[in-house]
Amino acid sequence: MIELRSVQREFHVGGQTVHALRDVDLDIARGDYVALMGPSGSGKSTLLNVLGLLDRPTAGHYRLAGEDVTSFDDRQQAEVRRRRIGFVFQSFHLVPRLSTAQNVALPLLLAEVSRKERSRRVQAQLLAFGLADRAAHRPDELSGGQRQRVAIARATVTRPELLLADEPTGNLDRKTGDEVVKVLEALHHDGLTLVIVTHDPDLGARAHRRLRMQDGRIVADDRRAR
Amino acid sequence: MKARDALQLAFSAVRSQRQRSLLTALGIAVGIAAVVWLLSLGTGLQIFVRQEFTQFGTNLLAITPGKTETFGVSGAIVNSVRPLVLDDALALRRLPYARATLPWVTGNGAVEAHGRTRRTAVYGVGRSMPEVWQFAVMSGTFLPDDDGAAPRAFAVLGHKVWRELFGGDSALGAAVRIGGDRFRVVGVMQPKGQFLGIDLDDAVYVPVERGLQLFDREGLMEIDLLFGAEGVGDEVAVAARELLLRRHGREDFTVTAQQQMLDVLGSVMSVLTLGVAALGSISLLVGGVGILTILTIAIGERTAEIGLLRALGATQRQVRLLFLGEAAALAALGGAAGLLFGVGGAQLVHALLPALPVATTPFHAVLALTVAVAIGLLAGTAPAMRAARLDPIEALRTE
Amino acid sequence: MRAADQFAFAVQSLLATRMRTLLILLAMAIGTAGVVLLTWLGESGRRYVVEQFSALGTNLVIVFPGRTETVGGAPPLLGETARDLTLDDALALQRSEAVRRLAPVIVGNVALSHGSRERDATVLGSTADLMTVRHLELGSGVFLPAGDPRRGGAECVLGPTLRRELFGAAPALGEWVRLGDRRFRVVGVLSSAGRSLGTDLDEMVVIPVASAQALFDTAGLFRILVEATDRDAVARCVADTERIMQQRHEGELDVTVVTQEAVLSTFDGILRALTLAVAGIAAISLVVAGILIMNVMVVAVTQRRAEIGLLKALGAGAPTIRAVFLWEALLLAAAGAGTGLLLAEAVSRIAANAAPALTSGTPPWAALAALVVALTIGVGFGVAPARRAARLDPVQALARH
Repeated sequence: MIELRSVQREFHVGGQTVHALRDVDLDIARGDYVALMGPSGSGKSTLLNVLGLLDRPTAGHYRLAGEDVTSFDDRQQAEVRRRRIGFVFQSFHLVPRLSTAQNVALPLLLAEVSRKERSRRVQAQLLAFGLADRAAHRPDELSGGQRQRVAIARATVTRPELLLADEPTGNLDRKTGDEVVKVLEALHHDGLTLVIVTHDPDLGARAHRRLRMQDGRIVADDRRAR
Repeated sequence: MKARDALQLAFSAVRSQRQRSLLTALGIAVGIAAVVWLLSLGTGLQIFVRQEFTQFGTNLLAITPGKTETFGVSGAIVNSVRPLVLDDALALRRLPYARATLPWVTGNGAVEAHGRTRRTAVYGVGRSMPEVWQFAVMSGTFLPDDDGAAPRAFAVLGHKVWRELFGGDSALGAAVRIGGDRFRVVGVMQPKGQFLGIDLDDAVYVPVERGLQLFDREGLMEIDLLFGAEGVGDEVAVAARELLLRRHGREDFTVTAQQQMLDVLGSVMSVLTLGVAALGSISLLVGGVGILTILTIAIGERTAEIGLLRALGATQRQVRLLFLGEAAALAALGGAAGLLFGVGGAQLVHALLPALPVATTPFHAVLALTVAVAIGLLAGTAPAMRAARLDPIEALRTE
Repeated sequence: MRAADQFAFAVQSLLATRMRTLLILLAMAIGTAGVVLLTWLGESGRRYVVEQFSALGTNLVIVFPGRTETVGGAPPLLGETARDLTLDDALALQRSEAVRRLAPVIVGNVALSHGSRERDATVLGSTADLMTVRHLELGSGVFLPAGDPRRGGAECVLGPTLRRELFGAAPALGEWVRLGDRRFRVVGVLSSAGRSLGTDLDEMVVIPVASAQALFDTAGLFRILVEATDRDAVARCVADTERIMQQRHEGELDVTVVTQEAVLSTFDGILRALTLAVAGIAAISLVVAGILIMNVMVVAVTQRRAEIGLLKALGAGAPTIRAVFLWEALLLAAAGAGTGLLLAEAVSRIAANAAPALTSGTPPWAALAALVVALTIGVGFGVAPARRAARLDPVQALARH
């Protein structure tokens, strides 16, 4: 489903050039469960951003489900992000002034789904993720685990094919982190392609495939059948 | 904290949020610029009008028939039973401090010369006109001092009439017809210009007795009295009034001092200028709301900073002064910029319309800056007090 | 995002920052109310002046003695002319078919006395037609008698203030008063008309024109007031009048003929221009409010970087982000302007109750103009921040948290 060919990403910071990604070739099949690992500065977050069309490579190509999305303009890329990709962040990034239900509904707003349909789908998500009694609460009234579940509910409300998570358990304690991982794996079980950036070796061990990065390159790629 | 340090801190805070500070100051600047601009134009207009009036000199009294309180001309153009006569003028001449009296009438008439006709203003005046109206003869002489009731039929042409009818040739000694009667030209006046719309060059001047005849009047329209510098306007006016009261038996005339008119006009214009400037103040009010808004936002953002300051030992008063200082700094910057814009704008108008003088007085500048800072302080009071009253522990907890 | 959803999103974010939203609304409201109220004052004034002027008469044409050389210049209000406007001239003007009626006018100041009471009064010498031409109203008695205006009578009509001051509560009709050195009999008293454009009609006394000529020892008329048959006849009336006068004055056109319409429209034009100028100055405050909107929006963009980054990550395109922020600016401007309009309307109604000279309610075109300006300001000053928001790099926006 995902093909990266010769992808480069350079940043110019204060007169110096940082090579965040060097010549990355990568294939990810539909339904894969991948962990992106490596020391800080290895480029794993950058790679995730490229996969999520949040960042454009300086060179190289990215084919998603057969389409060369690197050539898409801003509008087309936004469309892809809307419908086919879901993002989960370490710091949740919920909109503080919106309620749980409203936060989950955001992608549907962007996809111009009707109000009635929106309401139906949001309800379904809240039920699925055990958040039904927190529907009217604001993020500052939720625990860390609940917030991340809201974020995941939001990320999957449009039924994307690909779910990208950047250190999803980074701000959570062990126990809550475990719960969140179980939620993600359940989604994977239902057919979602899952790519998680993590520095946690235990979390990496649970994935079916581990990509290790260093200095902008993929230096190891090992699979483990489950 | 020393005042200087506090000020430096305030300015550094303003500087650090450059764009936001610039925009906030801009709001005040626009308001101040508008007010300064309007004040400059208004003051310029006042000067203009004053100049128009004082071109006749300021030691002048005007006596008109009929009692009129208004700054109007009804006494002059309407009829009255007891008119002002030439003998009144002669009597007034004998007042102490009186240097000259000028009885006059005016009307509209056709002037013919050289086969050309021109409808123009005809003034029947006494021989002291050049002195009283500060208006000199360019060539020839003015009307002679003919005593008696039948002065010779001499006329003096205004500059424009002379040009129009004689086209630059000498008019001295020429015969003209004014209102059908024959006159001989003895002089031509210097160009004098306009006075509030009345063109003094587009006129001819004949002896006042002749003028009365021409317009078939018994009464004068006005007697102007010029008094010496030693005379005090009010005293001379009182003396003139008493004299005429004795002569007429009742107060069927009006005595107006030039100074009086100037004062009335001056205060009317001041009120107008202030009123118009007040319009500009609406903008200042909005600018003040702007400072209030930005400061409110800033304090919300800098809650932790405030908590830190208090934890480090700042008193409530110091926090308050700090934010007041920021507000004042923003406003002062805006005021200074606004002053520049306002003056620049006024000068621009002057460049486009050279006839209109503009004047920005130091008073305006001080006023502008003071008002600006005052607005800043006023707008900043509520936010500053809120900042000072923040609980330090709660403030530090905010992240 | 659908427009309705964008709108709702914007409303919500404005409500979340209540204080600053309120302050911005205040700023816009002040500016809008200021402009609209000033326009209202100007319109009230203009309407008042026009009404007063129209009340002077209908389809009026006024003849002034004398003429200035400049074409279209003001008629000579001061001074005499060599050739008077005479009563015979006035009578001759009646020959025109465009003239319905006319009234010659002489004006003067004279002492009016009755018994021991004396007062200065303004004397109007005219004919019976003056009442109709000038829309005068009688309080009691009759007006001047009709008949040959060349024969002066001893009748007079008093203004109500004069009547009160000279007679107190005693009846005035039929009594004799002294004007200068002549005696006149009071045949009527005008009802109070109040001030009309500066002249206090209540303090006037009207006598036959020929008597006024004798009283002031002058043959020249001050003005001739002519009432044209109807609106369309006014132009013809002017032309006829000029022609007749020119004939009578040996081919010389030494009078100025002015229509009430012309003077009205000059006033009207001047007052409209003044109102616009004044409103324009007040409108500067709207610009200042716009600057505030821009300022606060820019701040908001900075504060909501993470939110913007998130929206982009969720798939919002640049147009959507721009739209959301533009809606916020627009809403601020429009809501503020709306509040200001309501405020101005309320003030104008309250004030009109107290002072009837003022029109109740603000001029509707002012409301429309204010809204248009508000929307322009909202868009104009919101564009830059909105674009800045749309241009934010989502990665960097999300990175800082």
